[in-house]
Amino acid sequence: MSFAAPLGVGLTSIGEYMDIDIKEEVDAAASIKTLNDNMVEGLAITSFKYLPDTAEKCMSAVTAASYVVTYKDSKDDACYIDNICDLKVKFFDEAHSINIVKKTKKGERELDLKPLIYRFNIEIKDGVPVYDLLLSSGSTDNIKPELVIKAFHEFLGLPEFDDLSLDIMRTDMYTGEPDSLISLGDIGNEH
Amino acid sequence: MKKLALSDDILMQIDKPARYIGNEFNSVKKNPADVDIRFAMCFPDVYEVGMSHLGIAILYDMLNKREDTYCERVYSPWPDLHNLMKERNIPLFALESQDAIKDFDFIGMTLQYEMCYTNILQILDLAGVALESKDRNNDDPIVIVGGPCATNPEPIADFIDMAYVGEGETSYPALLDLYKEHKAKGFDRQAFLRDAAKIPGIYVPAFYQVTYKESDGTIESFKPIYDDVPAVIDRQVVKDMDSSSYPTKMLIPFVRAIQDRVVLEIQRGCIRGCRFCQAGMIYRPNREKSVDILKEQAKELLASTGHEEISLSSLSSSDYHALGELMDFLIDDCLSEGVNVSLPSLRIDAFSLDVMSKVQDVRKSSITFAPEAGSQRMRNVINKGLTVEDIIGGATLAFKGGWNKVKFYFMLGLPTETDEDMKAIPQLANEVAAAYYDTVPKEQRQGRCQITISTSFFVPKPFTPFQWAPMYEAGEYLRRAKVVNDEMKAQLNQKSLKYNWHHSDVTVLEGVFARGDRRLCPAILDAYKSGCFFDAWGEYFDFDKWLAAFEKNNISIDYYAYRQRDLDEILPWDFINCHVTKDFLKREWNNAMNAKVTPNCKMNCNGCGAGIIGSGVCHNAR
Repeated sequence: MSFAAPLGVGLTSIGEYMDIDIKEEVDAAASIKTLNDNMVEGLAITSFKYLPDTAEKCMSAVTAASYVVTYKDSKDDACYIDNICDLKVKFFDEAHSINIVKKTKKGERELDLKPLIYRFNIEIKDGVPVYDLLLSSGSTDNIKPELVIKAFHEFLGLPEFDDLSLDIMRTDMYTGEPDSLISLGDIGNEH
Repeated sequence: MKKLALSDDILMQIDKPARYIGNEFNSVKKNPADVDIRFAMCFPDVYEVGMSHLGIAILYDMLNKREDTYCERVYSPWPDLHNLMKERNIPLFALESQDAIKDFDFIGMTLQYEMCYTNILQILDLAGVALESKDRNNDDPIVIVGGPCATNPEPIADFIDMAYVGEGETSYPALLDLYKEHKAKGFDRQAFLRDAAKIPGIYVPAFYQVTYKESDGTIESFKPIYDDVPAVIDRQVVKDMDSSSYPTKMLIPFVRAIQDRVVLEIQRGCIRGCRFCQAGMIYRPNREKSVDILKEQAKELLASTGHEEISLSSLSSSDYHALGELMDFLIDDCLSEGVNVSLPSLRIDAFSLDVMSKVQDVRKSSITFAPEAGSQRMRNVINKGLTVEDIIGGATLAFKGGWNKVKFYFMLGLPTETDEDMKAIPQLANEVAAAYYDTVPKEQRQGRCQITISTSFFVPKPFTPFQWAPMYEAGEYLRRAKVVNDEMKAQLNQKSLKYNWHHSDVTVLEGVFARGDRRLCPAILDAYKSGCFFDAWGEYFDFDKWLAAFEKNNISIDYYAYRQRDLDEILPWDFINCHVTKDFLKREWNNAMNAKVTPNCKMNCNGCGAGIIGSGVCHNAR
């Protein structure tokens, strides 16, 4: 059994994957039912597919993940920036690079986020910014959504950023090159 | 998603939030409105420790089989959450429903070791329940404790409403039925406690009065204050292990518990009669489960949990009558399914080595001996029937089979121990190392053999032949460890030996609690109030706070730990009948003083008293 990518504590998700080896072929629909009948509350299996024998483990296949991020508190400082969507264009779409300092277990290193952010959109819902992100993921350049929003907050000149102020939902995971990403859910067959 | 007692904001701040959210696979879900009795079953230590405990797994399953009862789990919040709960006035909750346990009918705690006593108070404190029984009223839960430490519940007598003395399977049904009756007719706490005190195994400390001798402070009398309350509490014993309730499912935690596997109890009690061992005395008589039942339970549990490992639980698995058949079954049926068999501590011989070589990587694993004492004289004193020949012979066989790591467990501070006995510990290890170099030709050796010696310090426990023995001051324990360490360095094969020993302050405190009486209660309360809890965890143990609490309450460590008790003294736990008689314990104490070995129960009945139960090894022998 292998999980595509661990989900951080406090995040929700509607797009998680794992691959398992089984001894004999079983019916996909019946297996979904059996698994869901035994699943703990809050977890549900939505799809069950057979992978080709040549498929790599999902953990090494993942190259990108999409997220929807918003603020838990509708009075967050970011909610009072009226031109936040325009500023986002300056921060992301028009920028050649987004340089940040990333703290790792081994120390600090400089990193250009720009080529690792594949999509960065904002929509305002009920006065609160909702971010739609597609980020590099996996073993080499794993970019957490908090890191991107933190850089954006710094660009906006907002004070002290708190990871806990965000409500983060992972929506899907992808494999392939940045310009031709495929959802892990679209790989494999019913039999 | 269901409700959580802790907000996301709190869950994100604390270590391992999965400890507190419940909802584990195989956890029991009931509608609290549909039951008459809500029972909070608590292991007063951190989640990963508590979730590994078999006794709670058995009772959780058994109580939840009753339609009228919802048994939920509670563990000690780790200090990070403890502080947040205090700061924000969040009441302690049960994992399943996430409801505050203050509103439950029972809070039951299992006491597996003395060093959890302050955590009893932590649980009550966080729950918002009065710390002392006398301050609780009709609306408060009944606080009941069980487990091995309930065989001397006196040091915590003020904090509990009742102790359940013995194995939980027998009297809980009667207790819960009685509670329901009382609840139906308008609950009166005192009336319920009074009736409960008549149920076999139930001890209500408030109904007993203790007087002490002015001369030396020992107990003068220990009597019930009412005529209808029994003067002696009979420890409860399951007669037939095969028909006794055992779970078919076990909970699967979201974070790794210490015991992360199926645990199969193969027998209760032990035939050996080691004189230091409380479990070996209080769980008498030795009662085995039949091998067919075990095979069934193993299959069922592996299927219902998905665990990839199964382990056998018992005090001395090598003594189980059908171990060969059981191991063959597990190896044939489980290994092929990808399930590992983890071995309990087996006596090292040709049979166990054969089994071990099938389930473990010989080069990575080690063999374990627990001779508990280094010299034959000392082993005779403690009645550990393991000889040098057994050890060298077993080790030699293992070396031939490819093992080169040996672990040894010993105790220091045993009654009558001399420096010669201590020195015999590294000498024995040295002999085993020599056996390695004699047995394994140079070209076949994978480097040196590695022999690890661990010593713990002996703590006398109630209901053992050593219950009268004196302990030593912390410094003396360390001196003894130094004798062992110095002698180790003098050994020819010292480079193959490694020695670990324990801290000694906590040993002394454990000794005080183990044989304590109810005069300790105010000191434990003060220690908790001054910040002591999680005393079993080195990083939280603060001996100075304990010394201050003892001083304030005139508690003499000398009286509780260091003195030699008189064989005729009334001991604080004498009111409990563990079936093993005091006469037998005295006889065994005298045998110990004469270094005389007593044969095990299968060889010869020694008339310990447990025969009165009429089951297990006593029954089979007749």
